[in-house]
Amino acid sequence: MKKTEIILILLVAVIIGVVLSLTYNASTYITFADAEKRMGKEFTVIGELNKEKEILFEPRLNLLTFYAADSLNNERKVYYHDSKPQDFERSEKITMTGFSTDSGFTANTILMKCPSKYNEQQYIEQDTITLP
Amino acid sequence: MEYIGEHTLVGTIGQAFISIAFVAALLAAFSFYKASKNETLKAEWLPLARGAFYTHGLSIIGIIACMFIMIYNHYFEYQYVWQHSSRSLPTHYMISCFWEGQEGSFLLWIFWNILLGLLLIKKAKNWEAPVLTVVSAIQVFLSSMIMGVYLLGIKIGTSPFVLVRNLDENIGLPWTEMANYLQIVPQFMDGRGLNPLLQNYWMVIHPPILFLGFALTMIPFCYAISALWKKQYAKWVREALPWTYAGIMVLGTGILMGGAWAYEALSFGGFWAWDPVENSSLVPWIILVAAAHLMLIFKARKIALRSTFALTLLAFLLVIYSTYLTRSGVLGDTSVHAFAGGLDYQLLIYLISFVVFSIGLFLIRLKNIPHLEKDEDSSSREFWMFIGSIVLFVSAFQITWFTSLPVINKVLGTQMAPPLDAIALYNSWQTPFAVIIILLVGVAQYLSYRKTDLKKFLKQITLSLIISAVLAVLIAYTVQMWQPLLLILLWATLFAAIANFEYWRKILKGKWNLSGSSIAHIGFALVIMGALLSNANKNIISSNDGFIAKDFPSNENILLEKGDTTAMGSYFVLYKSDTLIGINKTYEVEYFSLKKDGTFEYQFTLNPFIQLNDIMGNVAEPATEHFALYDVYTHLTYADVDEHDDNNPYHRESIINIKQGDSVIYSKHFLYLDSLLVNANTNLESDKALDVMLIAKLKMQNMQGEYSTTDAIYAVKNNIAQSFPAYLEDGALKYKFIFSEVNPEAGSIQIKAYEHIDNEKPFIVMKAIIFPYINLLWIGTILMAVGTFIAMLQLFKQTKS
Repeated sequence: MKKTEIILILLVAVIIGVVLSLTYNASTYITFADAEKRMGKEFTVIGELNKEKEILFEPRLNLLTFYAADSLNNERKVYYHDSKPQDFERSEKITMTGFSTDSGFTANTILMKCPSKYNEQQYIEQDTITLP
Repeated sequence: MEYIGEHTLVGTIGQAFISIAFVAALLAAFSFYKASKNETLKAEWLPLARGAFYTHGLSIIGIIACMFIMIYNHYFEYQYVWQHSSRSLPTHYMISCFWEGQEGSFLLWIFWNILLGLLLIKKAKNWEAPVLTVVSAIQVFLSSMIMGVYLLGIKIGTSPFVLVRNLDENIGLPWTEMANYLQIVPQFMDGRGLNPLLQNYWMVIHPPILFLGFALTMIPFCYAISALWKKQYAKWVREALPWTYAGIMVLGTGILMGGAWAYEALSFGGFWAWDPVENSSLVPWIILVAAAHLMLIFKARKIALRSTFALTLLAFLLVIYSTYLTRSGVLGDTSVHAFAGGLDYQLLIYLISFVVFSIGLFLIRLKNIPHLEKDEDSSSREFWMFIGSIVLFVSAFQITWFTSLPVINKVLGTQMAPPLDAIALYNSWQTPFAVIIILLVGVAQYLSYRKTDLKKFLKQITLSLIISAVLAVLIAYTVQMWQPLLLILLWATLFAAIANFEYWRKILKGKWNLSGSSIAHIGFALVIMGALLSNANKNIISSNDGFIAKDFPSNENILLEKGDTTAMGSYFVLYKSDTLIGINKTYEVEYFSLKKDGTFEYQFTLNPFIQLNDIMGNVAEPATEHFALYDVYTHLTYADVDEHDDNNPYHRESIINIKQGDSVIYSKHFLYLDSLLVNANTNLESDKALDVMLIAKLKMQNMQGEYSTTDAIYAVKNNIAQSFPAYLEDGALKYKFIFSEVNPEAGSIQIKAYEHIDNEKPFIVMKAIIFPYINLLWIGTILMAVGTFIAMLQLFKQTKS
């Protein structure tokens, strides 16, 4: 066999490895209920922040707790052991990686999707205008 | 109807320039195409083609001038100005707000393409007509992105000259029908302002450099397309080579400047996070580097031409793909700093047309491209350079494939989520690739074309191998990095740097004009070394030892009370003061070390700050102390930025509902409502109460059982309710109570309780990280740029001869 062919085979092998590796390593978006079936194992949950309920940040405990509802609208208390991200209250969707426990969902990382930051509101609401 | 106060002239002129620019680009593409056919047509069409291209260029400059007039004069009736600028914005950031939006950043790209087009008209000689046909065609596509016109009901591009009242979402609203809307709608008094994250000096220079890098990838692409089109398969490489080096230099610098910005201004703690936006600009650079090395092989040995074509085309196509990824909104959930969507279909159509056209042309011509069936000797330089290019390609493929997860989801209809620890996954793939590449960087120059004398080769590299191994162990010892693969990478980078230096000193006899590749390779090795050492050994000194679960630290933050000195890592830190400077609330944090005699020795002060921004939210910006061998990075993760009113130093309202005789726990105290006294002044004839005074007898008891009492009064006189606040003290702790409501049904009253701001010492929560040897990264960046620049000059000289 020629060297070029060996190199080509190796190249194809590594590329197939890369392609499969993504499917293998990709996590799955799941619901709180599914995460609770395997407590302690890490998953990714996309939730919606409940702004009606208390968002509590305890700087001295380094703990942020809030309530989020998953895609099936099941709500859980979420514990996040870090500081409250800027503009947390404004976020809509929150992507959380973490695991379920008896008392709720413990988030390792949270990524917020803010409606305001990059897609600024251009709509000027009529009722904010004061007519003379 | 005549609107009052609008400056529509500048917008009309700007929009006219856009139309001219677009039509002129079309005309230029067509005439350059005609001119490329034969010599007679060339004489006829070339002047027209050039004229059209100049017109296109002048119109683009006209558009940019109009935009600056709008931004500089605060014409907030224009959407672009209103959304990206504000009155308080300093002049130098007005430049940044020019390219903050989609339209402006496309213009920046178009602008660089014009400058490069003009250079090519001057320099490309016989290649001018075909190459500029491709350049002009690209300009047609890019200028359509800023057109903002409707064609058969489909919106093509978004114009920077749209008025807010003409935006789709505002059309038909009553205020847009008012002639004086600019005077009466308060929102038009000021713009929304520049995103606070972008208010940083790196953001003034990083985007233009990055876009110049993107623009430069176009030139080798245009040469390759022209070569395939005109069936001139060999000569283009020599012409395209120096431009490819220019692209490598500028794009590489631009990417790492983005890293410098992230490190200085963003709070994720580092210069690289494998974010899709970062990845999609890194990938074209990697492919461009691979293409340049294949060009060198072809130049020396006339082999590997097909791969050279493929990778040269790919580098530019990946720039277009990166534009699609970052601007179509497809990244959605996976990136924090992608642009919003809106142009997704247009971008997708462009991407597909570019891919189909260039790959199609390549495949049609493939069998005609000169190709040797012979294997190269495995001791030859060209063999190992080719292997290096393949590894670069695979490395780029891995990054692209992983970054494209949202696209894959879209195409396959799957719902895959990004890997849980994406950064670790990228690192585990890229580290072995980096080891191979870096080792090749070290040895390739010592290999000869065709065949290498292995004995001589080994003799030449032995010294570098030994020195680098010793140094690797010494450095690994200082940071305690003993993970085998990382240790090998560290050794490889040291070896590559030393071997390239030795090559330049001994074999090139220290000649400066030939030093380009050695310097650039040393720079590249240092960049990887700096990235490895600073990232793999970053030390979060603010964290404590607690863990919630495995690999899950409970607290990476440290809480500092004002005036207290706290131990953190090997330092002692003091939160000394905070001041409001302009829009920045700045915190003064002093670092001390503990001397042997037990006293503190002052080291340095860091001033992390919070940029206050009501519209887009406050942004914490880090502060970093730079030392030769490491950096100390700090950033605030929590700080109370509220300004306190000196007349009312009470905050943290708590609402307490309480019945007579009951007690509640409030702020580590028992609060009793001992009794509720009613004092009524009744009208005897109607039996109605005229004036009522309610007195709540409050008692507060601390944990030691000590208590104090006060009266909170709620009075109604002439049907107007009024409360008189009551104050209580427990040692240094002060509280304020307001009797705010009566609930006769529940039989309770409502008390609003407040704590004095001095009850608790002000504090900040902060994260501090030590990045060892990060300066290697920045030194490497500079060396890489300088080396590539020298190589580029050398290659330009060769094209002349």
